[in-house]
Amino acid sequence: MTEQVINLKSFFEEARAGRLTGIRCGRCGELAIPPKEFCTACQQRDWQPVVLAGTGTVVSFTVIRVAPRGRGGEVPYAIAVVKLAEGVSLLGRVVDIPFEALRAGLPVRFRPLQIEGQTLVGFGPA
Amino acid sequence: MRRVAVIGVGVTKFGKHDRTSAELFADAAADAITDAGIAASAIQALYFGNVTGGETERQLHMGPLAATRLGLPTIPTTRFENACATSHAAFRHAVMEIASGVSDVVLVGGAERVLHVPTESATEFFAYCSDASIEQPAGLTFPGVFALIARAHMDKYGTTEEQMAHVAVKNHRHGKLNPKAQFQKEITLDTVLKSAYVADPLKLFDCCPFTDGGAALVLASEEVARRHRRAIWVLGTQAASDTMFVHEKRDLSRVTATERAAQGAYRQAGKAPTDVNVVELHDCFTIAEIVATEGLGFFEPGTGGLAAEKGWTSLGGRLPVNPSGGLKAKGHPIGATGAAQIVEIVTQLRGEAGPRQVDGARTGLTHTLGGNTATVLVSLFGRD
Repeated sequence: MTEQVINLKSFFEEARAGRLTGIRCGRCGELAIPPKEFCTACQQRDWQPVVLAGTGTVVSFTVIRVAPRGRGGEVPYAIAVVKLAEGVSLLGRVVDIPFEALRAGLPVRFRPLQIEGQTLVGFGPA
Repeated sequence: MRRVAVIGVGVTKFGKHDRTSAELFADAAADAITDAGIAASAIQALYFGNVTGGETERQLHMGPLAATRLGLPTIPTTRFENACATSHAAFRHAVMEIASGVSDVVLVGGAERVLHVPTESATEFFAYCSDASIEQPAGLTFPGVFALIARAHMDKYGTTEEQMAHVAVKNHRHGKLNPKAQFQKEITLDTVLKSAYVADPLKLFDCCPFTDGGAALVLASEEVARRHRRAIWVLGTQAASDTMFVHEKRDLSRVTATERAAQGAYRQAGKAPTDVNVVELHDCFTIAEIVATEGLGFFEPGTGGLAAEKGWTSLGGRLPVNPSGGLKAKGHPIGATGAAQIVEIVTQLRGEAGPRQVDGARTGLTHTLGGNTATVLVSLFGRD
């Protein structure tokens, strides 16, 4: 079971299908994204995969106006750290929300994005 | 463990160069060896730092190349890469080689050359220092990482864009006094506040520049250093890490690796923040200086912005921070930065910093942060 969520490939395959996957420690209940071997909280290796609801609120955000090579056509774009309903956080691209509406505490919902064949974590309106 | 001292320092002019990283390092290293007053043949090992040579110069295996350029092709060399903390990490390992008794005289430093590639390429290569699975695909840049930190600090403590601008103005004022600095020009609050956003709320003048340059230090055991009148002692040096993922940081308004590295370095040195007279810290972005002055224990959490605004961190203030001009004005050749910060502190503690001298400085601290706050090194230095 654990193997399916412990690699990045399956995390992004699930994400592409719209399912955000986390792992929960079978010993202490710690939640984590992305997959890792040992639980940071209790150092055990007893993960159970969990499907996350994908809803959360913005913790912090920025609007990128100078992009890395190859991404210049995408600017300006917003990036946020989002605290998910289950309590674990995730960073992703924000879409379909006006920059001026962004603020800490704003409710958002996970959605997979595809840019040039690559899956990335996105968040849109809740 | 044996005591270790810095007995020689060298740094190139920071800015744009048409020489390779290995040449820039060799230039600084030759100056450091001359400054130490030792024969080049006394060097027993090289710890060398460089980050983007594979991308920008198609050059890896730069340790032996740097030693070859220097004319010391047979000494053992190791190349370090810890993002922007690269040569501070190299320094810590060089200290340990001497402290452990393996060697008596070791050369350490680094170099970087990026100004010959387009800005968007340099931005991409630097972004390789963040995670390639989630963060790079999302389009996160380094200004973006520190913008997330800035926003969190503003929301939690009320820190303002104007307070951040004060850091840039102060470091440019200091940089004007440093002939090696990339920018030797004062700027105004207005210049910073009216500059274009790079990653909101960070503007162009909140960001350090891309820079070419090299820096080097000659380290020696106590037995060798005792023969040197201007030896500056390494009192403590500690590294700390934190999760590579920005989303896993428990509090974006803090850099916990800075706090842990500082605690370790203070403990080794038997010093407290109040003992420190002069500081070179990692101001890759203005908010980074504010957060670092809090994490290093100089100001209470949330008051770093006020300290900048009130001038407490200026030359002549309570605790001068970045008298060299910092990364902001002196420049930030990422593989050389950690060593260059130590060059400045050694120069200050020797009393040789000229118009930017912090009067009577006896204890100094350097702080270097790598990447998305995942690597931090803190070292303490003293005159005795």
